Amino acid sequence: MTENWKITLRVYRQKENQTSHFDDFQMDVNPDEYVLDAVERAWAFHDRTICFRHACHHSTCGACGMRVNGVEKLTCITLIRDVTRNGATLKVEPLRNFPVVSDLAVDMGVFYRKMEAVGARAVLPVTEAEIEDPPSKWDAEDSQYIRLSDCIECGLCMSACPIMATTPEYLGPAPLAAAQDQGLRRKPELLSVVDCEDGVWRCHSAFECTAVCPSFVEPARRIMNLRVQVVDMRLRKLFGKA
Amino acid sequence: MDQTRNQPSAGKFWSWFIPVGRQVGGWAFALNRVTAIGLTFYLFLHLAVLSLLAKGPDGYNGFLALTENPIIKFGEWAVVAAVFLHGLNGIRIILTSFGVGVTRQKQLFYGFTVVAVLIILIFTIRMY
Amino acid sequence: MSKPHVIVIGAGFTGVATAHDLALRGCDVTVVERGDLCNGTSGRTHGLLHSGGRYAVKDKESAVECIDENMILRKIVPQVIEPNGGLFVALDESDLAYAEQFIESCEECHIPLEELKPDQALKLEPNINPKVLIAFLIPDGTFDPLRLALAFAGTAKHNGAKFHTFTEVGSLLTDGAGNVTGIKVSNRASGKSEEMRADVVVNATGAWAGHITAMAGLDAPVKPTPGIMVAYNQRFVQRALNRLNAPGDGDIVLPQRRMVVVGTTSFDAEDVDYIPTTDDQIKLMLERGSELIPGIRSAKPRGIFMAARPLVGGGSGRSMARTFKCYDHKETHNVDGLVTITGGKATTLRAMAEKTADVVCAKLNITTPCATKETPLLSYRQYYATTN
Repeated sequence: MTENWKITLRVYRQKENQTSHFDDFQMDVNPDEYVLDAVERAWAFHDRTICFRHACHHSTCGACGMRVNGVEKLTCITLIRDVTRNGATLKVEPLRNFPVVSDLAVDMGVFYRKMEAVGARAVLPVTEAEIEDPPSKWDAEDSQYIRLSDCIECGLCMSACPIMATTPEYLGPAPLAAAQDQGLRRKPELLSVVDCEDGVWRCHSAFECTAVCPSFVEPARRIMNLRVQVVDMRLRKLFGKA
Repeated sequence: MDQTRNQPSAGKFWSWFIPVGRQVGGWAFALNRVTAIGLTFYLFLHLAVLSLLAKGPDGYNGFLALTENPIIKFGEWAVVAAVFLHGLNGIRIILTSFGVGVTRQKQLFYGFTVVAVLIILIFTIRMY
Repeated sequence: MSKPHVIVIGAGFTGVATAHDLALRGCDVTVVERGDLCNGTSGRTHGLLHSGGRYAVKDKESAVECIDENMILRKIVPQVIEPNGGLFVALDESDLAYAEQFIESCEECHIPLEELKPDQALKLEPNINPKVLIAFLIPDGTFDPLRLALAFAGTAKHNGAKFHTFTEVGSLLTDGAGNVTGIKVSNRASGKSEEMRADVVVNATGAWAGHITAMAGLDAPVKPTPGIMVAYNQRFVQRALNRLNAPGDGDIVLPQRRMVVVGTTSFDAEDVDYIPTTDDQIKLMLERGSELIPGIRSAKPRGIFMAARPLVGGGSGRSMARTFKCYDHKETHNVDGLVTITGGKATTLRAMAEKTADVVCAKLNITTPCATKETPLLSYRQYYATTN
């Protein structure tokens, strides 16, 4: 038996050269569907001018990140029942800290350039994916398996980070996590990229990035570990080992 | 596409203190900023008051009169509260910066805040 | 001499791969897309880099296309692929009976396969059903849907192709004789309308091909055929997992990052702009998926969605061939300037683009040969990192 809720979907609207505003759509939804389904239905049946980004619908592409009732979420895996009630409002807005292309779609060009700058790995051996409590101990054979990196470059962390809001040059949680993931001992050329004012030292431990990451990256933990790696590299240089 | 809207900028520091979309770590961050601003302001105030003392007995008596003012009394309490909140949260930041307890930063915050609140409570009782 | 201008409608797999091929052959390419890249069928593909094993028995043409393209994609775009191979497993007598024709057909289609005994299979993949009777190792893989498209699109952009997203085609521009000379678009972000002229317009809208051809007064023989996918929150296997049987519902389970995705079903639909999921199909995926991987019963669904395949040709559902077709409408309906490419599988995107570009270039008297087989693609981030 599918439940039927009546909600108000409040969508942020922003067209070129116009002031932004919110549009309300009265919708019947199945609370076991996802927020993205509600947005897609609003586009399909209510207003074809709504602009939003989505592709995979299962948390692997990172395209559908939005702020749902103010909190960064990946809308394709966010159940409607987890973020609102029957008869209530569901507000969707674009991510913070990126220029809005239109409505819910933002331009993440700067973010992708930063990911390129740290040479973020798209694929890596499964044994290097830093899964805590792996279901089984990896053995030598397992390193042959390649998997896509945990980070889906959705930008939720960049939106939630308070430092990112005030510091455009800050590398940001995901790029720093991607640098940590590669290891400075293995990639010493990354040291100068992250060991700078707007690199690993710009983080002020708000931990918002880890709180919103939908993909198990834990950027905050990785940033702290990256600091340890930076200090390690500096010490090695000091004592002539690097 | 409007390139200027929604971009990061230094002027957006007010967003640190807006509750919407922030979780525990973000709250701790905002609290540390607020207490830091408060304590810095206190520092300058403190120096200004000290300069009063340098003016001799009249200056000192003028200063004593100030301390009876209820606003000043509240301010003194606020400084102590800020010191402990900022300081203990600061210890949490130091710990996590060395990789200690990063995955338990929320619990660390709750723990340290409880300790800070206890200390502030004890101080309040003893002082007033 | 200025380059010929080709407009590609649709930025799914076919559109971006075609843009890449045409850009390499010296065309000036403009891609228009009513949403953002891969927001239609392509984004929601299962993500199986086919070895062709699934089609070897009943659809040899598709199977050969798959194995050939599989090898090419591994070379030109490894950044988006989990290349860990795949297993076909038999769980009951009827599966076992399929084995002989499966082996024969794979050999016929030059798909390399290795037979495994149950204990060997379980050693490789401990989480599969322990009742496995026999298994075959074949060179399947998993890919990231959006990033596969981004790699083609980014390389095309780097080579001069222009992309206009949130730009919807409202009508086709025609000359006095009914031939297509361009498109009229409206941009959803700015609200502005624009006319774009082109030497050839490529209709790469997949399941929506009929919408575009209708604007020229033609119809395209594409049958939108949706199917469901359910993603669960645990990476139970490192390889693609297929049921050893004639293609049916819920007989493929793929790893994708920290998930497994079970798919799919097959049914007809008229309007595929929005297809709701249904409880009975979700249940079916749970049933069939947990036959292959018992652990799925205690896993949680992470994402559930529908996607509409563009199937061409006669028949319906599972009996329809999975091959692709390119139509030069000058030949089909005497309407010049419009080429439709539809059908196909994600795995064959490059081959579809090659065929389409061949047709387009023949019309434009361009003799530069296709270079996409040997050209490694740039990092998928180039699409966003380069400005238009």
